[in-house]
Amino acid sequence: MIKFVIKDLKIFLSDKKGIFLTFLLPIILVTLFGVIFGVTKKREPRAQVLVVADEDQSPTSKNIMAQLDSLDELEIIRTTSDSAKAMVVKGDESVIMIFHKGMADSIRMGAQPEMELCYDEAKKMELGMLQSALMAKLMGIIGNSQIQRKTLLDFDKNNPQMDSQQRAKIHQQIISQFAADADTKNTKEDKPYLKVSALVAEKENSPMLVQVVAGNSIMMLLFSVVGIGASLLEEKQEGTLKKLLVSPIPVNQILFGKMLYVNIISILQLCVLFLYAYFVFKLNVPEKILPLLLMIIVTAFACSSFGVLLASIAKTKSQVQGISTLIVITMSAIGGSMIPTFVMPAFMQTMSHFTVNYWGIQGFYDIFWRNLQITDINFLGKVAVLIGIGCLLNFIALTMFKRNVKQLV
Amino acid sequence: MIQVHNLCKQYHGHLVLKGIDFTIQKGEFYGLLGPNGAGKTTTISILSNLLQADEGDIQIAGFDLKKQSRACKQSIGVVPQEIALYEELSAWDNLLFWGSLYDVPTKLLKSRINETLELFGLTERKQDKIKTYSGGMKRRVNIASAILHQPKVLFMDEPTVGIDPQSRNLIYEVIEKLHKEGLTFLYTTHYMEEAERFCTKIGVIDDGKIIAEGSLSELKKLGNVSETIEIKFNEVSDLALVKLKEFWPKGDYSNSQKFLFYSTEVHQDLAKIILKCNDLGLDILHIEIQKVNLESVFLQLTGKQLRDA
Repeated sequence: MIKFVIKDLKIFLSDKKGIFLTFLLPIILVTLFGVIFGVTKKREPRAQVLVVADEDQSPTSKNIMAQLDSLDELEIIRTTSDSAKAMVVKGDESVIMIFHKGMADSIRMGAQPEMELCYDEAKKMELGMLQSALMAKLMGIIGNSQIQRKTLLDFDKNNPQMDSQQRAKIHQQIISQFAADADTKNTKEDKPYLKVSALVAEKENSPMLVQVVAGNSIMMLLFSVVGIGASLLEEKQEGTLKKLLVSPIPVNQILFGKMLYVNIISILQLCVLFLYAYFVFKLNVPEKILPLLLMIIVTAFACSSFGVLLASIAKTKSQVQGISTLIVITMSAIGGSMIPTFVMPAFMQTMSHFTVNYWGIQGFYDIFWRNLQITDINFLGKVAVLIGIGCLLNFIALTMFKRNVKQLV
Repeated sequence: MIQVHNLCKQYHGHLVLKGIDFTIQKGEFYGLLGPNGAGKTTTISILSNLLQADEGDIQIAGFDLKKQSRACKQSIGVVPQEIALYEELSAWDNLLFWGSLYDVPTKLLKSRINETLELFGLTERKQDKIKTYSGGMKRRVNIASAILHQPKVLFMDEPTVGIDPQSRNLIYEVIEKLHKEGLTFLYTTHYMEEAERFCTKIGVIDDGKIIAEGSLSELKKLGNVSETIEIKFNEVSDLALVKLKEFWPKGDYSNSQKFLFYSTEVHQDLAKIILKCNDLGLDILHIEIQKVNLESVFLQLTGKQLRDA
């Protein structure tokens, strides 16, 4: 089997056009889409405008507002809730935030904070980006004050006899300690509470960057594997397939050799594209190397099996090219390679589950955006689905190849 | 070395092979001759295990093709009609790949590749890509790739089609060398001179059947084809012509100065005819013997030219 791979790699490396189409063209496309969607690194981060309506007008809500406003990356515009909602309705803003009356009480009671993000449904993607970053920040602020509140309550409960002056003094010490802790934490950890980079264009591993790199990579990979898979039909046209079949090599090995070769090229292609995304778009590849390698391997496996399947079904190279263009473009459109699936209607989102693209892209989202670990069950689920797709398609390809091989010659 | 019994093959309801039987002994050079569509390539495809026969038994090098196909494949080398090489690879890389399919140890394989390239006069171009080769050179590499594992039998399906005379002669020399070394051949060709030059046994196939089989001289007898003695005279009188016709009725006397005498035993008959001509006082200017060739035998046996489409 290795003999076939070495032979095919030698042929591949001698084909400069093939190398260009396999590696450089996807890089060009990723770059192009990256620039179009603004995921290139910018030297001056641009502040994101967030319209906030404070109906509560409590010290807590004002404090949260002040903390959000203190961020360089965020420009807070204060207004009334009616005015804010009108901005969304008119399309002037995609997302607004409302602190409802009673928000401070809800926080004090440890209940769900009375705050709401209102958004334009047509711009769900912006909501997704904003929501994730805001939640991290808000939970930091609210969580801290909730712990502080609980500490004070516990102290009062355990010391019911203490006089009010002494109690006030200790309360003041607890509050100061929380403030000092917060300051220390901010200094030591490079102000994690203030880092809301998801709200600006340059944030590492932004969903759009992951979308552009993963989406385009998988789409281009599908085009590449079809081309490589079609080399099986070139073998037929050049008479070498017949010569292979009269050799003592079992028929299965001819196809397995081709599968292995397509897998190797696919893995290389994805590796090159993610390395490119690391160097050019600062995608955080080094910290995600293990899950990334796993996802690259299973995505390459699923995609290459698709190419081999087409080659084993079609009778001529032109048939493969015709069918594949239609299928790859359709799968890429439905599966989220061209546009993210979450902006699609519900039924299209359901349809996307039947494509390799969807599972691959979601896997890369898990790694770079959702920050899931390699052992996370959700991540492993996608790995399993891609392996399942690959096995199924390869099994069908092998069956079809064995059935058609005599007709092929 | 090869035994084929009652080989039948049907394509889309049409019987292409109708019970073919033949045997090839070790070291024999067997030519399978027939017009296009007669069943030559189908027979070779079945023997190469590329197609499956509907009926029949095949033994190659002592192995049953149905039950021991891998051992059979290991025993044969196949030179297909078309040039089956990777154009983007060099001759060396092509030979390395094709040889490796037959489990030849790499070191031995490399040594054999060097020897074979030398044999075919390609050593100097061994690192050049096949796409830069002439048709004749490609044919040579095509043949070389089939003998690297030192098969017991070599199937050659019209291996010299469309090549230059220089390459053809080189290939002929290599074929003769391999045959002398004891390699058994199954050879199909359209070129009569190739069959006459190499074949120790010929099977004439037509319409899916072997209609005649044997050495060239055996086929001549089977076809009952005569050789021709052509004699040119200075002048022939009417009386001499009448007496000559009486003496040798199997002749063509239509040309007044050049007569054709048909004979199945030309060496004995030539002397008799010359003596008679002297008796009749005829002045002989030129004598030429036209030997029977395979083309005429084939024509006699099948009623078709060998290259009929």
